Amino acid sequence: MMRVSRKLRKWTATILDLPQDVVLDLPRITMIGGLQVTVENHRGILHFSPDVLRLAMDNGIMEVTGQDLVIRNIGAEEVFVEGKIMGVQLHAKGKPSS
Amino acid sequence: MKGSWVATIRGYVWVKLIGGEPEVFLNAATREQVPLWNISFSPAGQLTFGVSVPDFFRLRPLLRGCGSRTRIISRHGLPFRMARLSRRKTFAGGMLAFVLALFLLSTFVWDVRIEGNTAIPEEKILQAAREEGVYTFQWSFRLQDAASLSQRLALRLPEAAWIGVDKRGTSISITVIDSTKPEKTALEGPRHLVAKTDAVITRIIAENGRPKVERNDRVRKGDILISGVLGDERNNKTVISKGKVMGLVWHEYRIESPLVTKSKNLTGVTQDRSYLIIGNRALQISGYGEPSYEISQTRTTVHRAQLWKRLLPFGTMKEHELEVVELEKVRTPAEAKLAGLEQARSEMLAKAGKDAVIKAEKILHEHTENGKVLLTVLFEVEQSIAIERPIG
Repeated sequence: MMRVSRKLRKWTATILDLPQDVVLDLPRITMIGGLQVTVENHRGILHFSPDVLRLAMDNGIMEVTGQDLVIRNIGAEEVFVEGKIMGVQLHAKGKPSS
Repeated sequence: MKGSWVATIRGYVWVKLIGGEPEVFLNAATREQVPLWNISFSPAGQLTFGVSVPDFFRLRPLLRGCGSRTRIISRHGLPFRMARLSRRKTFAGGMLAFVLALFLLSTFVWDVRIEGNTAIPEEKILQAAREEGVYTFQWSFRLQDAASLSQRLALRLPEAAWIGVDKRGTSISITVIDSTKPEKTALEGPRHLVAKTDAVITRIIAENGRPKVERNDRVRKGDILISGVLGDERNNKTVISKGKVMGLVWHEYRIESPLVTKSKNLTGVTQDRSYLIIGNRALQISGYGEPSYEISQTRTTVHRAQLWKRLLPFGTMKEHELEVVELEKVRTPAEAKLAGLEQARSEMLAKAGKDAVIKAEKILHEHTENGKVLLTVLFEVEQSIAIERPIG
């Protein structure tokens, strides 16, 4: 059932030429240089330390690495992180990062 | 820190999380939609964040759930500032007193102005306004509205055609427009016009009253020229007689005219001296060593030092001395006679009134004696001879 609805949504997005994140509930990541990252559509914080921020997503984990990370703002849908950002990695489900 | 002024009004705190799992707490807070900001780790490894005061109390059940405690690092915003203010009672009282004083003072009338070009003295208008309760330091709310005020003022000042009262803030302006009135005529009682001197009438015009004399009549001093009594002995009425009576009047004049006249003339030679004034003493600064003149005129100008409107006891004085010579002029008896007659004529006319005309003149006697020409002249002058005499 889930698969059918997903396929249907993907098909609709392709047909109607809509951005994928709108229909598919995927995380949208906006990054400004190495200073700011805004992640929309996250599913909660898994780990937070000054060096690493791990966020849960619908189908995996997202990892922001850097130094002196600060969560400027956090909402149910959105995280806004500031600091010296060095990397953003996406790990698909079932393959937890190191 | 979305909308930092909103946060400032609601008040916010910087909080340190002690113990427990920070991730669990953060997820719980996001789930409950408690807005946190500037979440970071302190060097000691503790999670610190900002949270608004009402949200801080919503955190409590979450904290119990994840076994952490919080410690407030610092408090910001209006509620805390108010709390601090409430401790400083005098200061808060002062603030309140200031606002109160400002309000109270703004309810006074501070200025009453009178506008409009009016002949009514300002004091009178102010007095009328005072009686209607318009004066400085009056409470504004004790005043009536402008329309009824202007009406009442108009009743108090009947000389004014229109009075407007305008209140602007703490000042009141009263505009007064005068009504125009006919000129007042002096009160006059019934009267005759009588002769001032002996004369021969040349012209008589009676505007009011009954003329008693005719042209070429000879009148004596005190004779009635225009009578103020109309009618006969039984039916009569007194009026204010008016009119113009001209007559020929003879004046005898004695004139003395000297043969030698003296006049003072300036030679054009001058000298200047300047002084320094201290108190009531003057110290000469320049103009030494010049000889003083035999006859002279001195013009002195004093400049006192001034500080705004106050005169100071210092200053400078300048003297300008002009040399004068006396010139003597010797006239022939004929010249002296002419000059004397000229002077007599102008004196004559000045005495006889403005519409007087010299009709004839005759030299009765003339002789030169002691350096003077002595003349006796008879002038025949046509002048107004009427004078008013009230009827008893």
